[in-house]
Amino acid sequence: MGSFAVEGLTKEFRGGAFALRDASFRYDGTGAIGCLGPNGAGKTTTLKLLVGLLRPTRGHAFLNDVDPMRDRKAALWDVGAVIETPEPYPTLAIYDTLRTVGQTRGLSVDGIDQEIDRCHELLDLPPLGRRVGALSKGQRQRVVLASALMGDPSVLLLDEPTSGLDPAERVLVRGLLGRLKRDHLLFISSHQMLEVTEVCDEVIVLHRGQVLLKDRVDRVTGRLRSRELVVEFDRPVDAAALAPLAALTSGIVPVAERRWRLRFGGDDAARVQLLAACQAIAPVVQFANATLVLEEAYLDVIASATAAP
Amino acid sequence: MTEDSPDATASPAPGRAPTVPRRYVGETSQWVTITRHQLAHYLRSYRFLGLVGFVLLVSGLTLGFQLIAGVEATRIAQLDKSSEYLSNFLAYIGLWIILAAAFFGGDALSVDFSTGTGYYMLVLPVRRATLLAGRYAAALVVTLGVVLVYYTVGLVGGSYFFGSAAVAWDSVAYSLAIAVLFSLAALAVAFSISAFFRSPAAGVLVTLLTIYVGFTTLQGVVELAGFEPWFSLTYAAGAMPTVLDTDFVHFQRIPLGSDQYYTLWSANISEGVLIMAAYLVVFLLLSVWLYQRKESTA
Repeated sequence: MGSFAVEGLTKEFRGGAFALRDASFRYDGTGAIGCLGPNGAGKTTTLKLLVGLLRPTRGHAFLNDVDPMRDRKAALWDVGAVIETPEPYPTLAIYDTLRTVGQTRGLSVDGIDQEIDRCHELLDLPPLGRRVGALSKGQRQRVVLASALMGDPSVLLLDEPTSGLDPAERVLVRGLLGRLKRDHLLFISSHQMLEVTEVCDEVIVLHRGQVLLKDRVDRVTGRLRSRELVVEFDRPVDAAALAPLAALTSGIVPVAERRWRLRFGGDDAARVQLLAACQAIAPVVQFANATLVLEEAYLDVIASATAAP
Repeated sequence: MTEDSPDATASPAPGRAPTVPRRYVGETSQWVTITRHQLAHYLRSYRFLGLVGFVLLVSGLTLGFQLIAGVEATRIAQLDKSSEYLSNFLAYIGLWIILAAAFFGGDALSVDFSTGTGYYMLVLPVRRATLLAGRYAAALVVTLGVVLVYYTVGLVGGSYFFGSAAVAWDSVAYSLAIAVLFSLAALAVAFSISAFFRSPAAGVLVTLLTIYVGFTTLQGVVELAGFEPWFSLTYAAGAMPTVLDTDFVHFQRIPLGSDQYYTLWSANISEGVLIMAAYLVVFLLLSVWLYQRKESTA
């Protein structure tokens, strides 16, 4: 069972710029924790401090209760990490690249082949004899993810794990992360709300190096009701036909011939009334939130922090 | 999953069995792994093939010129034996080694902080000192590859002009052993420069400028002033051909005109070895210290 933690972690760069201020959290066991925040919020800095790529100005980071500043090898022993854009040597074949990772993580010769086969299957890797330099961006990203999975470490630290992947590859990786979190501890920094909503159990929101929010995803989304809905009818409907909705909404925007976006107060009673009114106009085939609730919660938190003096 | 906040409700999940068993890997095993990984990279890179090709071309052209121009024109006829020929041929071996050290060591560590290589390698459970040692060993192997090519061409020439029986193998082996030490020292300098800079190109360039231009210029100025340049790595490089030179002179005073002399110093073997060993120890420790403290801010 893995764990990661930061205690009063602060990183100040030269010139006095704080990338992270007094951050503290601890997770252990299994599951997925999403780390959200705008660019420059401190997400990647947190990951870099966790694996010892940066030295903290104050405080400590721990991986499986070992401070990487004290013992990198022991701290990273049961950890797989994908941070920024890792680049394996382009001259080497995928197999050679993964074998090196397996050897450093203490796998036997048979174990390495077993693990490479497992990763090959999980991530649909290209032929193992191909040189890394000949791979597409998405293929290279999958090789990097495979490297993080080699040896099946209990903690996975992933910085934008689906960046550079095409839609099919994203679905593949999201599905994999969803399975991995059952028996691994995942820390995922991402801009992809869908990824965090689908995969993560808990979320940390960082802004200007400070932890603004730290809670379970279901609790965060439960506190907020989406104020935008998309309704899709079974046939094209013109604006005039939607006149009965005017009193219930604050805005109606066409999306497509049969689809309309409705802005409203967000409470459940208004939602029920809107659905009934829509069904009175034409049969409804879809009636759903227009945006991810987590995204709205995130924007609310960031907006509040930005507005605060 | 549990969280330290008071409202965390999830209970810890039970432990899991890893997919495949893992055993603790010692530093030596990891060093071998990193060395092999780095060596495979070097051997498949255009840089290594290009440098070996360049050494072969230049040394081959030298030998070809000697063959075409003849032993009289190239003063080979004045040499007593094969070792003297080889000593002359190896006059520039130090510069080849420095070039190889700059090529393979000048960016060996800086790549971790300017390209994505560091984000791949530095998150592995390997100590930075082990990573450095593995890369250092791999750089040494390819540098010695370049050295061997140059020595081989020299030996072919010596055998052709003086007969293979005339080759003093023990002296050649001694010279090669010093070449190994010089390669270690030059690589230590290159690694410490590489650990200091972020840009791989800057690491290579500064290594070349420091050793080729910096040391050579300073050495010349100091010699002109009549002092022995005992501090210079390029001065120590003279020990490699010196081993094979039967007419070795440590200090010469060459008259330039009325009351003016140019003093010329050549490192004797023990002095050269000491200088190389000092550079090796100081700069290797410096590179480890710098590399361990370096942060991935890019």
